[in-house]
Amino acid sequence: MNTNTMSYKCKQFLMFAGVTTVVFAAVVIIPFFYGLYLTFTSWDGVSTQKPFVGLSNYISTFSDGAYWQALGRTFIYAIIAVILVNVVAFVLAYLVTSGVKGQNFFRAGFFIPNLIGGIVLGYVWKFVFNRAFVALGDSLSIGFLSTSWLATTNGAMLCLIIVSVWQYAGYMMLIYVAGFMSVSADVLEAAQIDGCTGLQTMVHISVPLMASSFVQCLFLTITRCFMVYDVNLSLTKGEPFNSSVMAAMHVYNQAFTYKNYGTGQAEALILFIVCAVVGVLQVYIGKKAEVSA
Amino acid sequence: MKKKFLAMALAAVMAVSLAACGGGSGDGGDGGSGDGKGGSGGGDGVSITIFNSKSEVQDQFEAMAEEYSEKTGVNVEVYYSSDTVAAHLATRYSANDPYTLSMVDAKDVYSLAGEHAADLSDQEWVKNTDYAISVDGKVVGFPMCIEARGVIYNADAIKNITGKDFNPADYATLDAFNGLLEELVAGGMEAPTGIMKEDWSLAGHYLTESYEEQADVEGFIQKLYGGTADLANDAKWNAKMDTFDTLMKYNYAASSPVAAEREVSEQKIAEGEIAFMFGGNWDWSMINAYEYSENMGMMPVPQNTSDGANEKLVGGGSKYFFIDSSDNTSEEQRQAAKDFLNWLVMDPEGNAFMTEKCNLVPAYSNIDAAALDPLSASVKKYADEGKLIPNYDYLPDDHYSICGAAFQEYLAGQTDRAGFAEKLESYWSSTTPVEH
Repeated sequence: MNTNTMSYKCKQFLMFAGVTTVVFAAVVIIPFFYGLYLTFTSWDGVSTQKPFVGLSNYISTFSDGAYWQALGRTFIYAIIAVILVNVVAFVLAYLVTSGVKGQNFFRAGFFIPNLIGGIVLGYVWKFVFNRAFVALGDSLSIGFLSTSWLATTNGAMLCLIIVSVWQYAGYMMLIYVAGFMSVSADVLEAAQIDGCTGLQTMVHISVPLMASSFVQCLFLTITRCFMVYDVNLSLTKGEPFNSSVMAAMHVYNQAFTYKNYGTGQAEALILFIVCAVVGVLQVYIGKKAEVSA
Repeated sequence: MKKKFLAMALAAVMAVSLAACGGGSGDGGDGGSGDGKGGSGGGDGVSITIFNSKSEVQDQFEAMAEEYSEKTGVNVEVYYSSDTVAAHLATRYSANDPYTLSMVDAKDVYSLAGEHAADLSDQEWVKNTDYAISVDGKVVGFPMCIEARGVIYNADAIKNITGKDFNPADYATLDAFNGLLEELVAGGMEAPTGIMKEDWSLAGHYLTESYEEQADVEGFIQKLYGGTADLANDAKWNAKMDTFDTLMKYNYAASSPVAAEREVSEQKIAEGEIAFMFGGNWDWSMINAYEYSENMGMMPVPQNTSDGANEKLVGGGSKYFFIDSSDNTSEEQRQAAKDFLNWLVMDPEGNAFMTEKCNLVPAYSNIDAAALDPLSASVKKYADEGKLIPNYDYLPDDHYSICGAAFQEYLAGQTDRAGFAEKLESYWSSTTPVEH
């Protein structure tokens, strides 16, 4: 049987990937281009008319100060959260692979927050910040705890970061655990024989060998932090004074609450481009750093 | 060959499961009405869908739909969504599957009616209400109820301290109101007021009163758009802000006002820990979750003014039904929907559903409501006396959010009154006027 003809290749492709391609196109590709088209209209979301307005949505995007503030805020939040999530996750992973008693129990425990949905988690933490901490602060007269952190601009951001770290650290820990396990014992033993201290082994042997774990974890945390919405909605709802509105929430409000569908879509597109650029850049740089034993 | 067979089999399994999923969701959409038909035992088989946007009456609506279907043979399906009304309807319209009857806010009627609402001018109920919405000379919006804003008071809590029955009319001016608050504080109620920090309450309900109580509302709004309204020197706006300052001064959460949770405030007013809170009669659906006091009610926002606004609540028709006019809805469905609206207003059972089951203040002159909750009873009293200042329904969609953020800053003490006025003015002058 000739396997090099066009028709054979087409058949093979359709057989294996046909269905998936159709589905992928239906739920990702077509909506993406349709969304692109909507950015050139002044649709309000309900009307049967979609008047073509050219680039005016992009112009209003660039003059929408609140959007750029939200995007800037998202950058700050993402940078701090990504660093903290990965540091905490790495330390946790180190601890639960170092042979402490009951380490499987701890692994499961640290992972559990990730199994709780963002909305629920936001409400739970809102209660903690608004009531539990305040009650604690009042009864022990600790000044900085006695008013709710969620009521101040920086406090609300801090709360968002704390909750994100708590949510994602366990998940990233699992990936780092896998990284630690993949470093072969021979290499570690060799390093020990050569007189490496624990820290030297970590810095010069383990970390370079688990570079791929770092790439994955950073990619996951960066994209998730840029797109944060659920925790943002249930924990702060953008309050106080709209000072904790992240980019995704601003896009939602612009499109659905303020009924500027086209502008919202244009802002979403810019957010997408920012995420894509940051994500791809990070993976590209990370891949270069990978070594093989 | 074996491999090829396996691959084909796998692909077939995938395709079938996919088709099953697709088919499944399709069935899910129609399944409800199909079942409904079976339940009603035949009839003429017309099905209508109702979108309810008042979460607190969803159970009542579902129960009513069942009874109504049984009685009339028209299948009624009631849906609810916690999504923004406009966003939810947008998805239904883009799926070419609109509701026969949609319950929306007044501003949504104005924005949707032109393209989507059927003409209801010839309906029987129209002559019984002052609150129907007309667009382009045609009646399109059926008012579900009357809702109004004002200061909620807990008369029992006040009487416990002052020893006298509380008569709201005695405290119409801010000076008198201040005197009472001082008396309450002296009597042991440390902080007699509460403030909801939600942006819709601050800017959507309280701030808007300073527009709605202007002598020429439309003219004032146009001045705001034009940037010529001088809020800092506007008598009405300052009167409202003076009252707000008083509410802030005695606020139980004064140390951290933007952290106050609505549930906590509602509980405090219900149980008499505080005596006053700005709100509306819809707050009853939260107050009645707690051990509420017997004697509560609503009074106009106290203010030092001579224009009579401190004797009136602000409000009017709220939650409007419109009937879809597109080809997706058949003539029979439209007729059934019209019959349903007439049943609500003209049939004693329909009346009982609105006033007794749902506890709504009727917007129709022929409906009597004796058994309303205390807040709604106050609203009805003011409405019957003609003491309602109408809502302004043409605010821009982002008004409550952006002005609400500025108002929260004022509440938190991060900006002064002049700064707040400046923010409001710059918001208005940079906003495109709403066409109407």
